[in-house]
Amino acid sequence: MSKFERSGEAFSLDLTVDEAHILINLVEQLLELLGEGDFFHHYDMNDPFAQLMSLQQEVVAPDDPVLLRLLPNAYNDPEAAGDFRRYTEPAIRSSKQRVLREIRTHLAILVDEDKAGTVADLQADTWLMALNDLRLALSVRLEINEDSFDLFESLPDEDPQKSIYAVYYWLGWLQENLLALL
Amino acid sequence: MNNDRMSNNSMSDVSTLTNIDAALHELLDRPWLCIVWDDPVNLMSYVVFVFQKLFGFSKEKAHELMLLVHNEGRAVVATGSREEMERHVQKLHEHGLWATLQRDDKI
Repeated sequence: MSKFERSGEAFSLDLTVDEAHILINLVEQLLELLGEGDFFHHYDMNDPFAQLMSLQQEVVAPDDPVLLRLLPNAYNDPEAAGDFRRYTEPAIRSSKQRVLREIRTHLAILVDEDKAGTVADLQADTWLMALNDLRLALSVRLEINEDSFDLFESLPDEDPQKSIYAVYYWLGWLQENLLALL
Repeated sequence: MNNDRMSNNSMSDVSTLTNIDAALHELLDRPWLCIVWDDPVNLMSYVVFVFQKLFGFSKEKAHELMLLVHNEGRAVVATGSREEMERHVQKLHEHGLWATLQRDDKI
């Protein structure tokens, strides 16, 4: 069974190759979604020039419901929400991309070696944030609500939705596992 | 007569100005609220972790606020200037919490 472990301030994670593949797949899909239609996503948003350039771009509320959950409106008032989005969304996207890229680097080690193993020296914060965004993304696709767990359990094993629910609950278990070590 | 009227006018001008001044003060003093909304995805323990990390709350205080969000559907997690609350909302969004800001509507 895979889990995080803690030794002092250092965290590590044991995964099978299959589990690492599932995670890396999700991470790459979410990275793609976060980068979509955003020309400036590969710029370092701490760079003042990149910030200035991105401010000249029209930043509007995303159409994709996953993106809207990850980058929600900060105000009820559409005009204030638009201004907030214009000034902060590049930084929020950039933060989300940074944590996802970081865990992709960890996962790539396992996948490349094609053997089960341990990823050491993990940043707990990074993993918690990335796992959370992956769960949020899946939750929108699965339309997760308070009754979802019962629905998941009642689905027949051959239902393709069931395996997506299983991944969603597994991510929650992983996240809970890491939180319990803090 | 003229003098009386003048003095009446200036009296009411002063009181109008005082009223405007008071109203302005009330408006400017009304703080901004940073609100976190309940959702069925974020783990309770994760929300506690985020509150502790971003606001420096004790575990007890963070847990209490998390329960308030969970039970009431939303909770005010910080109050202050608009700029400060916008920074909080940005950080909360970076961590995947559903947060908004608004002016305190009690007047």
